[in-house]
Amino acid sequence: MISTLIIVLLALLSLVFLLRLAKGRAVDIKSPDDLRSHIRPVDVQAFRNLTNPNEEEFLHAYLSPSEFRTVQRARLRAALEYVFCVANNAAVLIRMAEDARHSTDPSVAEAGQKLADSALRLRLYAFQASAKLYLAMIYPTGRTSSYELAEQYERMTRQGILLGRMRFPARGISSAL
Amino acid sequence: MLFYYLWVAPHLLLLGVTYALFRRRLAAVFPLFLAYTVLEVVQFAFLFTFSLVRYVSVDTYFYLYCVAFGLSTILRFGILLEIMGHLFKKYRFLETMGKPIFRWLTVGLLLVGLGLAVNAREVNPDHTLWLLVVLNRAALILQTGLLVSLFVFSRYFNLSWRNQDFGIALGLGVYATVDLVDAAIRSQTWLIYSNALNYMGMAAYHCSVLVWLFYLLAPERAAQPNLENVPEHNEMEAWSQELERLLHR
Repeated sequence: MISTLIIVLLALLSLVFLLRLAKGRAVDIKSPDDLRSHIRPVDVQAFRNLTNPNEEEFLHAYLSPSEFRTVQRARLRAALEYVFCVANNAAVLIRMAEDARHSTDPSVAEAGQKLADSALRLRLYAFQASAKLYLAMIYPTGRTSSYELAEQYERMTRQGILLGRMRFPARGISSAL
Repeated sequence: MLFYYLWVAPHLLLLGVTYALFRRRLAAVFPLFLAYTVLEVVQFAFLFTFSLVRYVSVDTYFYLYCVAFGLSTILRFGILLEIMGHLFKKYRFLETMGKPIFRWLTVGLLLVGLGLAVNAREVNPDHTLWLLVVLNRAALILQTGLLVSLFVFSRYFNLSWRNQDFGIALGLGVYATVDLVDAAIRSQTWLIYSNALNYMGMAAYHCSVLVWLFYLLAPERAAQPNLENVPEHNEMEAWSQELERLLHR
């Protein structure tokens, strides 16, 4: 009986979710202004510092265990905010890349394809990184290095800039990525 | 009267769906969905006629219903694969990453569905019929789980759907979720709420067909938004310089 109730509840929640999806679809990026309004600024260097294992070891060595846990949790919360911003930017760039993929110019289409793949990979990394950071907040003495995410983000933004230059040679693409 | 309306109207509308598929030249894009709509109309024509003709026995009717029902279920999974194929083939990354994720998800949902089926308490003396309901519930758990996961996945990755793909998946999702509620309740209560559940299932199917018809007739959104007509005053070059400085400092 309990399993039936759970199934019914989950099915009804799924129905509500589907109906909500039907009402509003994902964000559309039709112009650089749209892009600018959806992109959130991210300081990769600050993120690197927050997840740098050397800094973590330094803090671990010079702070008492309770102080370290407090500081480390605050650092992880900040890092998590960066990851959310990166994930948001990746989602916006996926849509931008999708538009570029339909370009009649083969080089723009190819750049769009590359950007889409990088942004999708980054979004996946962001998901994994946020899960890892949440876990680390529960157990702050574990290792939390997310260097791979920062490097992936740099690679993606370079591709985004390249694509922007190809599509709008007289302009740029983003000051906020 | 309402019962006959809910039985007949969706199948007449399905004829419209089939027509729209040919009219919009989508029959080759959605061959399994086309096969499903044709099968649904044909099975309705046979079952409706047999229900009116007295010389067809209840056993024959039930046997035919089971065969049609099994084929419909298989085709619904086929439609799901068709939609996933359309969504994934647009992105190289998803071809390599998305498929394994959904393969494992299918295994997990299948285990949950079959686990619940094995542990289900038999509430009906007719073992065959009860088995059919329980297996249907397992199939619906798999179907609903995959559909919802596909929507969550595409939402998370901000993937763009073709209008028709979205509509077909949405219609299928609405029907599958309501049918799952129906099958779950029926597996416990059997005939107690049978009449109400029949109406609920038929109404959900009617809604699904309307959703399919709407999305198949709706014009496709422009494939290429006009990014060339952007305002001239934007500062994209300044953005990129700032970004490069930010990234390399």
